[in-house]
Amino acid sequence: MILIRSIVRPEKKDAVLAELSNAGFHAATVIDVVGRGKQKGIKIGSMVYDEIPKTLILLAIQETDKDRAIDVILKTARTGEKGAFGDGKIFVSPLEEAYTISSGLKGL
Amino acid sequence: MKEILAIVRMNRTGATKKALVESGVAGFTAVKVLGRGKLVTDQEIISKRKAQLMSMSFDDVTESGATEKLVTGFLDDTRLFPRRLFLILVHDEDVPRVIEAIMQANRTDCKVGDGKIFVLPMVDAVRVRTGEAGEAAIW
Repeated sequence: MILIRSIVRPEKKDAVLAELSNAGFHAATVIDVVGRGKQKGIKIGSMVYDEIPKTLILLAIQETDKDRAIDVILKTARTGEKGAFGDGKIFVSPLEEAYTISSGLKGL
Repeated sequence: MKEILAIVRMNRTGATKKALVESGVAGFTAVKVLGRGKLVTDQEIISKRKAQLMSMSFDDVTESGATEKLVTGFLDDTRLFPRRLFLILVHDEDVPRVIEAIMQANRTDCKVGDGKIFVLPMVDAVRVRTGEAGEAAIW
């Protein structure tokens, strides 16, 4: 099992969640976050904005579905033809155990 | 060293906090999040809770059916609903105990929506005050 944390534009949240649901990854956790990237934020005139609002989506899935899920997020969260700065990042970490509280069962 | 992510009901935050302190974790972080779980395919599971919520609603002041749609949306996981996410750092041997404590504090008879617990490996931790690293930084 793996945990995918993807940081996407807030306006792309609904589209990404809908596409993930269509691809069979319905369960997700969504957190509003602020952050900056390699470009050191956005500079408008003399003003630097380095707390840019983004949405963090947590997705716990099987390792075999990894590429498919990442592909869905990449395709949906990208803006324009080639993508643009600020479209976000995807992080993948190993997930050792998962439990459902209502049934107490182990696994996703 | 392991990181435990526990997603629980908002109104169980207090109970979860108490359970965590009693099971002896050093500390934790709690965040308000939105989430959804597996789609509920069997309507039978949520029918009891739905009837309970519908009896509390005032469907005569809203558009007919709107309340039912809203209630169903929340219960069968098609909508995002609020949850509390706990981030807990624990020693390897404490993992089963803490998980059991969280499960005991959060189990309800609603059958769905009680939350999930994830366990991830954590490479290192540092206590800022003393500079201690590794297992010593947790507790």
